[in-house]
Amino acid sequence: MSEETTAVAAPQQNSKREALAFVVGVAGWLVPGLGHALLKMWGRALAAFLTVGLLVIVGAGMRGNVFNSNGNDAFDSLGYLADLGTGTFYLAAKSLETNGADVSHAGGDYGTRFLAAAGVLNLLAALHAYEAARGRKA
Amino acid sequence: MIAEMGIKLSHLQSMLLFAVVISIAFGFLSRRRPIERVKYIIWSLLLFLLVGVGIGWAMYPFSH
Repeated sequence: MSEETTAVAAPQQNSKREALAFVVGVAGWLVPGLGHALLKMWGRALAAFLTVGLLVIVGAGMRGNVFNSNGNDAFDSLGYLADLGTGTFYLAAKSLETNGADVSHAGGDYGTRFLAAAGVLNLLAALHAYEAARGRKA
Repeated sequence: MIAEMGIKLSHLQSMLLFAVVISIAFGFLSRRRPIERVKYIIWSLLLFLLVGVGIGWAMYPFSH
């Protein structure tokens, strides 16, 4: 009897943990560092928030290209996906860049890379938080 | 507003900033103990700079 109860409880616990991990991952994507903060990993949460935030601010400040969904080619679409990786910071980058992108200079080009790197870095952090929530070694 | 102010960085400053920020993020994500994080950040930063400057010099002949 107790074995049956254990056998039924284990998959339920696993599915609950998976659901929680998914929420943590999505939260980490939407707000950089929030996934780790939910797991009480304060150092990692702060590091993710500050590094992604700094890259977004500097990238927008250098007038990097914040891609939108109306991309002309595959590179624009990939850039859009990378920028979306910053979650809500994507909207912040859009609002910071009031004069639009200027990639005619090296600075603007670097800014574009900074914004894309911020997105990919945040996706990595969100994936890390998701794995940590699933109980993997982190 | 920040874009209006305009952040102007040289090539070297951009590379340094990128290397420092990414190294810190990698260090915090991949290591748990503070001393290990510091070691990883320094090591990663040095490698970033070494590879960046190395690639720069490797491209130098093509610019002339």
